[in-house]
Amino acid sequence: MDHDEAIRQKAPEKYLLDELDPGIREQFEEHLFQCQDCALDVRATATFIEQSKIILAEKPVEVQARAAAPASSGWLAWFRPAIAAPVFAMLLIVVAYQNLVTVPHLSQAANTPHLLTATSINLMTYGSNPSPVSVHAGTGFLLNVIVPPGAHFSSYKADLFNPAGGVELSLAIPTSAEDTWPIEVPAAERQSGTYKLVVHGIAADGKEVEVGRSSFELQVQK
Amino acid sequence: MQFQSFDESYVERLRAGDFRTQEHFVVYFSELIQLKLRSRLHSPQAIEDVRQETFVRVFTTLRSDRSIRQPERLGAFVNSTCNNVLLEYYRSSSRHSSLEDEEEKDVPAVVVDFVGAVAAKQMEEKVREILAELPEKDRRILREVFLEERDKDDICRDFGVDRDYLRVLLHRAKQSFKALYLKQMGPPPPGAGPAGKV
Repeated sequence: MDHDEAIRQKAPEKYLLDELDPGIREQFEEHLFQCQDCALDVRATATFIEQSKIILAEKPVEVQARAAAPASSGWLAWFRPAIAAPVFAMLLIVVAYQNLVTVPHLSQAANTPHLLTATSINLMTYGSNPSPVSVHAGTGFLLNVIVPPGAHFSSYKADLFNPAGGVELSLAIPTSAEDTWPIEVPAAERQSGTYKLVVHGIAADGKEVEVGRSSFELQVQK
Repeated sequence: MQFQSFDESYVERLRAGDFRTQEHFVVYFSELIQLKLRSRLHSPQAIEDVRQETFVRVFTTLRSDRSIRQPERLGAFVNSTCNNVLLEYYRSSSRHSSLEDEEEKDVPAVVVDFVGAVAAKQMEEKVREILAELPEKDRRILREVFLEERDKDDICRDFGVDRDYLRVLLHRAKQSFKALYLKQMGPPPPGAGPAGKV
């Protein structure tokens, strides 16, 4: 066992906790008797343990009384200069970065026109949408949802389920005379697979009635 | 981190009977030998017997014509000598006089007082300070591991921690303590480490 291996395996601590297998223990001892760094570590830790046993064996009130003083300051301890100063410095750095870099970048991205991949989802037909939706990783797409005519609900709810069966998004849609709803699915990291859209109409009494469902294949290009 | 070793000049001083070097040698390796033996022998007297016999044999070899061929492996030699003595102790444990009947050798009469009184007091205060800064949960864990010597798996289950938590707890406490410990132990004599490398 060399020094790096001893440190990597936390051998000094394991040695004093009696956690080393006999073979490993012998290897470590052979190294320990040769390496003054590990010997110092083990001796210091052993001394600490022996002293701790004496102190911890004292009446509990003595240890707790000493600990009570720092404990009573509780969350106020966070405002000590030694802690508060570096924390506030970090906060300032984060705020500055967000204002100077992140927000302008997002603003620029939001105001730049771009094409969205789109596909039509027809709730009037059974089965899946034959045309797969191909998008780049981390980008959104558009679903033109064709709803059955004649349904009269006070509002609708569209749920998009991902291949794992989890709800990818849920959208409340007010009653509309339109028979096609353009639903933008926001940019996010998604996995390829079969996604399912289920639309419920919400009646005046609050009951949900399924209006239609359809699925489509999403292909995410890395 | 640089590998450190005892070198030829150190061994020569040991062979010549230099008091400071002998004192350092016995103090340094006594602690390691005691740590090594405490998990193997349960009697303090047995540990002391094996420790003394180890030093007897090491000094006998050093002062003989054989000596040791590789001074830089002095530590390994002490370890292997201790292993041999321990093995013999296991074999002859029923014959208590096996070590006592050995002819008395000229072993340096060093009283192994690892730490002076003042240094001990300072270290006690440091340990107390470290313990006081620990959360109550960690203090209780240390008490149950080292004082009450409960099964560590039981302790981990009761406190909702894993074995690595114990190791990290011990490691951090040692790091806090080590600087003072190193200062109290003092520098090694010339030839025993990088500070004294010739």
